Amino acid sequence: GKWKNKERVLIFSSRGINFRTRHLMQDLRTLMPHSKADTKMDRKDQLAVINEVCEMKNCNKCIFFEAKKKQDLYMWLSNIPQGPSAKFLVQNVHTLAELKMTGNCLRGSRPLLSFDPIFDKEPHYALLKELFIQVFSTPQYHPKSQPFVDHVFTFTVTDERIWFRNYQIIEEDASLVEIGPRFVLNLIKIFQGSFGGPTLYENPHYQSPNMHRRLLRLSVAAKLREKQQVKEVQKIKKTGSKVLIGEDPTEVVFKTPAEEKPVEIQLVKPEVKPIVKDKKKLRKIQRKKQKKLFRTEA
Amino acid sequence: SSSDSGSEDSSLSDSELQEAFSRGALKPGLNVVLDERPKRHNDVSGLKQCLSDFKQQLAWVERLDVTLGQVVDPVSQSASNKDAVDPENDFQREMSFYRQAQAAVLEALPRLRKLQIPTRRPDDYFAEMAKSDQQMQKIRKKLKSKQEAMERSERAKQLRAMRKYGKKVQNEILQKRQKEKKNMLNAVKKYQKGLSDKLDFLDEEQTSSQGNKKGSVNQRIKKGPNAKRRYKNQKFGFGGKKKGSKWNTKESFNDVSSFRAKIAHNKGPRKGGKKALNKRPGKRARQKMKSRGR
Repeated sequence: GKWKNKERVLIFSSRGINFRTRHLMQDLRTLMPHSKADTKMDRKDQLAVINEVCEMKNCNKCIFFEAKKKQDLYMWLSNIPQGPSAKFLVQNVHTLAELKMTGNCLRGSRPLLSFDPIFDKEPHYALLKELFIQVFSTPQYHPKSQPFVDHVFTFTVTDERIWFRNYQIIEEDASLVEIGPRFVLNLIKIFQGSFGGPTLYENPHYQSPNMHRRLLRLSVAAKLREKQQVKEVQKIKKTGSKVLIGEDPTEVVFKTPAEEKPVEIQLVKPEVKPIVKDKKKLRKIQRKKQKKLFRTEA
Repeated sequence: SSSDSGSEDSSLSDSELQEAFSRGALKPGLNVVLDERPKRHNDVSGLKQCLSDFKQQLAWVERLDVTLGQVVDPVSQSASNKDAVDPENDFQREMSFYRQAQAAVLEALPRLRKLQIPTRRPDDYFAEMAKSDQQMQKIRKKLKSKQEAMERSERAKQLRAMRKYGKKVQNEILQKRQKEKKNMLNAVKKYQKGLSDKLDFLDEEQTSSQGNKKGSVNQRIKKGPNAKRRYKNQKFGFGGKKKGSKWNTKESFNDVSSFRAKIAHNKGPRKGGKKALNKRPGKRARQKMKSRGR
């Protein structure tokens, strides 16, 4: 058949990406035969330059990876030349090379795209869905493509983020194995134009990674400060002034001192009392026995 | 109104403020300027417009997209509970993705077949795969090693369990043998002491429970010791050294049968000439000797 749907996607990145991002990019290029590669873009150029780069390569879609601070990865998806475009924060990247992803598919085979029903409910999600379809689906009869459909991309919305998975279709009864890669997209903004233009949508649930890190640091600092405050309060309590209770005049009522006895001085030694043995008194052992009996009887 | 009055604060003079207060336009207390939270862009109409501009009218076969929920499993939670999928629960989350993919595949494959697009790769079709053969080898090796490790641990566990069981069985057998021996000896001693004149213990067919019942009935008819005494007899047997049994019971204390008065008072016939008959006097005798000696 004739290749009619002329979609070309330019996949490239800025400088300062780490190995995982690089592998992810390469994996996307492998999976999408309608993609083209380009060299790294310098940071000092504006984003608008990308439009020209794409035009030079004769591409009408673009996936641009931007790495900031060697920690955060942002992804731009854009339709050149008139837009729209969307910026995402990429998290939880796992590449094709991970040994836990055991599936495999033909290189360049056409994917099936599966979307969550949530994508039809909101207008911004509907726009994103259209963007994903146009970017990720391989055109029919593309010269580099294989005619089989043996894997499926899933886009799911969970926890205000878009989760991407890639599964291989093994059997006709829909038993699947994951091929990879996998990543999570956190939408930041949708622009009307390509890499610019008025903002159509801003994600209220998005928190920039800087803000996230800052909040963590603040929480730790706040905890420490609270501990110190508690310590200070305790110190004050300890060394606090003791409250003086005033004298109660009615207390004297209860004081009853004993009568004073005249002092007697003994001048004569007292008489020695004779020790009289009480014959009726039992000896010690017998006394103990009696006690025992008494106790057991009781 | 407080924010409005706050913004007016800077521009109005004192007298004007007083007038406004008397009018009742100002509220008492500190009036601060509240800056409104920056509104989040959500240009619904703009989004819809953009979508309609951007949308491509392509045949389904070009796009191959399916928008469907999960496979409704009668066993597991129904699709209506999908909102309860806890994103922190990794297994649940991945299973929800899996089920969504399954639903899409089940829906799409018949359509593809109708459009005559092949989905199964024929066995003689060799083409480059997304992952190289080397990579697949590595994966296979890892899976195999994992499986082997699991099997090894299973085998070790089983061995341990078997050994434990074997030891238990062996212990039981030994104990049984010892019990039988004890019973046999007791029966022999009973016969020797004349308590039972039956030689039934020679026959091994007698079951222990039966024997006990008969024995107890006979004993009650003959002698009539109480149950405690019978139990002790049965447990500790007759004769022989008894481990841990009481030493100075009332009976043993009052039992002076082993007292030989002549020997005690050194008057009996000397058997074999006991050498150096050093008969030590008793305590009282010694004390008397001591006090007398003083």
